Amino acid sequence: MTDSDAPAESASESSGSAEHSRLEGAESTVDPATLTVAERSLHPRVRYLWSLVALLFGVAVGLVILGLHVLLFSVGRPLLAAGGIGGLVAAVGIVHALLRYRSWEYEVREDALYLERGVLTRVRTVVPLVRMQHVDTARSPVQRVFGLSSVVVYTAGSRGADVTIPGLAVERGEDLQGRLKQLAIAAGGDPAV
Amino acid sequence: MKLHGLSVPFRIVEMALRIGWIFVFGAFGLTTLTDGVVTVVAVGGLIIGVLGILAAWQIAYYRRYEYRLTADTFDIDAGVFSRREREIPYGRIQNVAINRNVFQRLFGIAEVRLETAGGNAAEAQLRYVGIDHAYELQDALSDRTGDDPAPQPTAPDTAAEQQRQRPIFEVTPRELAVLGVVSLDYRVLVVIIIGTSAFLPQLGGRLLDSGVFAVPVTVLGLYLLTAILSALYAVTNYYDFTLFQGDRELRYERGLLQRYSGTIPLEKIQVVRVSENVLARAVGYASVLVETAGYSPGESGGTQSAVPIAQRSRVDTLVEDLGFETIDSFTRPPRRARRRYALRYLGATLVLTGVGYGLTLLTTMSYPWFLLLGGVVVAPVAAHLKWRHRGYAVTDNHVITRNGFWRRTTTIVPHHRIQVVFDSQTIFQRRWGIATLTIDTAGSRSLVADDSKAVDIDAETAARLREALFDHCLAAITNRQTDRSTVMEGRPAER
Repeated sequence: MTDSDAPAESASESSGSAEHSRLEGAESTVDPATLTVAERSLHPRVRYLWSLVALLFGVAVGLVILGLHVLLFSVGRPLLAAGGIGGLVAAVGIVHALLRYRSWEYEVREDALYLERGVLTRVRTVVPLVRMQHVDTARSPVQRVFGLSSVVVYTAGSRGADVTIPGLAVERGEDLQGRLKQLAIAAGGDPAV
Repeated sequence: MKLHGLSVPFRIVEMALRIGWIFVFGAFGLTTLTDGVVTVVAVGGLIIGVLGILAAWQIAYYRRYEYRLTADTFDIDAGVFSRREREIPYGRIQNVAINRNVFQRLFGIAEVRLETAGGNAAEAQLRYVGIDHAYELQDALSDRTGDDPAPQPTAPDTAAEQQRQRPIFEVTPRELAVLGVVSLDYRVLVVIIIGTSAFLPQLGGRLLDSGVFAVPVTVLGLYLLTAILSALYAVTNYYDFTLFQGDRELRYERGLLQRYSGTIPLEKIQVVRVSENVLARAVGYASVLVETAGYSPGESGGTQSAVPIAQRSRVDTLVEDLGFETIDSFTRPPRRARRRYALRYLGATLVLTGVGYGLTLLTTMSYPWFLLLGGVVVAPVAAHLKWRHRGYAVTDNHVITRNGFWRRTTTIVPHHRIQVVFDSQTIFQRRWGIATLTIDTAGSRSLVADDSKAVDIDAETAARLREALFDHCLAAITNRQTDRSTVMEGRPAER
């Protein structure tokens, strides 16, 4: 929030935590400040992925309408109804996908992961890195086609498991995972439970 | 160490009851296939055979089940065919619970359960051990539980241990009576409705015949039935409830027929909730729930009733004894939130009235649909009540949130237990410039209680609080770590 005093604070803290990691016997004495990532959006390609998913959903809706027409009751103009409703669903989905991409922003601070996202419901999350239990990168088949991956951060919180950053370029996802891991080690751990 | 010898017959009976349907179906099948003496012999053979297999299995289970307390883990080696050797570090144990039903009490045996934060079931279940031994285990384990174990006693001296624990809370008959009166369990209502669903068509017909008055009468009847059953359930469950405080843990005992006893390590408490339903609040009573990250029987999730019901002043004392803050003054959501609730309720009333009117047009039913418009009068009151009972407060060590009119729950989260903080704004909230701040902890969420949430607070305040709580969380963790390292060097009690 207050950008002006953040660096001063973190500078003093980073020396403390760097020392801490040395005490822990961690091999790296990397300065946490060098690992941060300024506010950043997802990879633009994720727009195509999400749009494709929306499009396929629209097609599915169209097919269901056609199926209903054949099996249960006849609709006046089946093709028009299917195309129209399916198309509308797809269009809404695609607009949502584009807005969703625009709404997404993540930031790696020295001591926290900050996420901002959501079209209809805006959510802004702070995950203290001290609380991080482990961090995954995951790639679904569709994501692999697009060369994208997700980073998932787990905490001991009851709903912490769904802190997911979707749609990162593969190298960037791995890089992010590495940074988060090192920062979490530097932050030290607190027996969470 | 071995389980109690009596656990063999107990487990056989238990198992036989569970698979009783095999006997029924088997015997039924045999009677249709055979007749006369052959039937008797066949059915007898079936019963003896199945019981024999069960007995052999349970004896093998008993012989191959072994547990022991080592220097830093609780080990269990078990399994007849597939062996499992499990080691549970003492520091990871959340709760130790002892349960006994009437029959087990009669024979002096008990079930002991250990819970850890992982998994969705008890990590270890000793079925069954002698009751004295169960208490010894509970004491021995809670001595060693915690991040920073106390110097281990050379021999667990149960008598001294029990002395050290002072009862800090005993439910009074009066409180038990209040508990019976105010505990309305909606789950009981569900059971009643399912139970009576067979008669519903007839009842429904009667209702329509007897006109408008039948509805309130039925509602009253359902209410009374639910109230009585809930009361019975609550009173038998919490009969003779006593809470003891030891050096490092809380221990409770409760139950009329089935006795429960459990420990809650003080260090493991994540969240404390004080909740009061509208009835309890009216007479000045409240209940306390203590949440650990463990998974516990009897209660949903790791939530344990520290106190089922008590006078408000006793509740506050207890909560403060646990090291949690209680406050009276909460910051309420801005007034525009109340306006929003009122508008929403008004809208809902109008829609409902419209639907009600529509029904009279579409069907032949006629009833005073315009009575639904009464909601217009109720809406502002309801909005005010909803708004009034919401609030939050951030103190030096805790963040406290409060929500709910029918059941008001105050959630107290220590800063060092915060896991993740987020503020969210739905599209509707955005128009009013308000947001909801959620504070996630590792406490297992129970069915009834929701997360710690400051609902419908000013959007900018929410964003500011999100960062402030994050800072508080880091500071609190750092403080605790320094505390702990100084404690390590020169020992004395941490809390």
